Amino acid sequence: MKLYLYGIIDSSSMIRESIYGLEGSGVYNIPYCDIGAAVSEINQPIQGVSERVVLEHEAVAEKLMEKFTVLPFRLLTILDGRENVLSMMDDYYDDFRDNLDGLRGKVEFGIKVVWPADKVKSRIINTYRAKNRNAHLLDDSVERRFVREKFEEHKIDSAFRDKADRYINAMDVFLGKFATAKKLETLRTENLLLSAVYLVTKDNQDNFREAFEHIRTARKDLKYLFSGPWPPYHFVILRRKSQPLRNSGQTAMFDKVILQPTLVGADKTWQ
Amino acid sequence: MDNITVKSKDVTLVEILDRVLDKGVIIAGDIVISVADVDLIYLGLKVLLSSVETMERIRGAPFPSPMQEAT
Amino acid sequence: MAMNSVVETDFPETFVEEMEKLQEALPRRIDANPKNVEKGLAKLVLTLVELIRKLLEKQAMRRIEAGSLSDEQIERVGETLMKLETKMHELKEVFGLKDEELNINLGPLGDLM
Repeated sequence: MKLYLYGIIDSSSMIRESIYGLEGSGVYNIPYCDIGAAVSEINQPIQGVSERVVLEHEAVAEKLMEKFTVLPFRLLTILDGRENVLSMMDDYYDDFRDNLDGLRGKVEFGIKVVWPADKVKSRIINTYRAKNRNAHLLDDSVERRFVREKFEEHKIDSAFRDKADRYINAMDVFLGKFATAKKLETLRTENLLLSAVYLVTKDNQDNFREAFEHIRTARKDLKYLFSGPWPPYHFVILRRKSQPLRNSGQTAMFDKVILQPTLVGADKTWQ
Repeated sequence: MDNITVKSKDVTLVEILDRVLDKGVIIAGDIVISVADVDLIYLGLKVLLSSVETMERIRGAPFPSPMQEAT
Repeated sequence: MAMNSVVETDFPETFVEEMEKLQEALPRRIDANPKNVEKGLAKLVLTLVELIRKLLEKQAMRRIEAGSLSDEQIERVGETLMKLETKMHELKEVFGLKDEELNINLGPLGDLM
């Protein structure tokens, strides 16, 4: 019987609330020691990642978050049979236990900031070229000119990154104050200045929100996105390494690829 | 696929995807049944929006809609 | 279904657009379709060559910035970097690969380049 996994919860009791997941199936708890795996049975093969599956998965994770501390599962984690679920919890028990303890009463917030990369770069380029107006006069060879141009690129790129770091640090001063943990990603794309997640205790949610409003009004020239509260997807850390798929699994995959050229060869499903 | 009007709900989907595709509890091993050998990290909104139609076309039948319960 | 999490922004399209840039149209792993195996391997090899080339370039720029190269050395560095860039360009053309295709996703570590 195929079981779809939504999350690990810090409870070995039955889930009293009616929670429905994929295929409208009821979500129930498979206990192990003092923790449990929230699952539901799936009968139809899942053909792919669809909007419906994503939303159903997330809805369950959030319902669980209302009543328990939950370690949300990655999408489409499916195990075959109750025994395998128990075996999995046995393998990862220490990790799960530690994570549940560390994440109790905490939620995740996401903040993304977009800045006008082109404008920022233009300003930097103009400043640089004004300062180095006569550098090109030293280009006495093609190679020299190449190096000078590369060097200019390098300096501009450095200045661009430094500026990004300064902006982000200024924001993080306010946001970090109310977070117990955080993960910041700079310049995921040129325009995506900041992509951050903050782990905040439930008591501090309002303070955190206020801090965000403060930076939003302080710098009105940037574009902001605020999301949450989420189950702590970014803060689950498993020390125990997962095993790679065994060879038999991979061979089977290649067989499928060769026998079904319409699926893979067409490349349409991957786009 | 070319002219999709971006609605607010798309940004919600993108934020959710940014979490569920490769964050959270990730376990692997032969006890995990992978879905159609799909590698989740490479999927995203573009694939997502087309996959249902593509899959339904391949199947030759639409997916049954889920029971609208509880929420 | 009701969701408790909110996603608030005055610019939903902007953020969707940026997030979509993070995803490629084609998968980045080696396709097992025999027709594409060669191209997949070329991609892998050239990605690594490109990484090394970029690292060399960066290293050279740092040394120039630090002022630790003589004029003559700078000329030679320029010559080498030019040749490398030209060669990479040729190789990409031979295999029909674009700049965006030469990258590897390292999962939690992000993209190689």
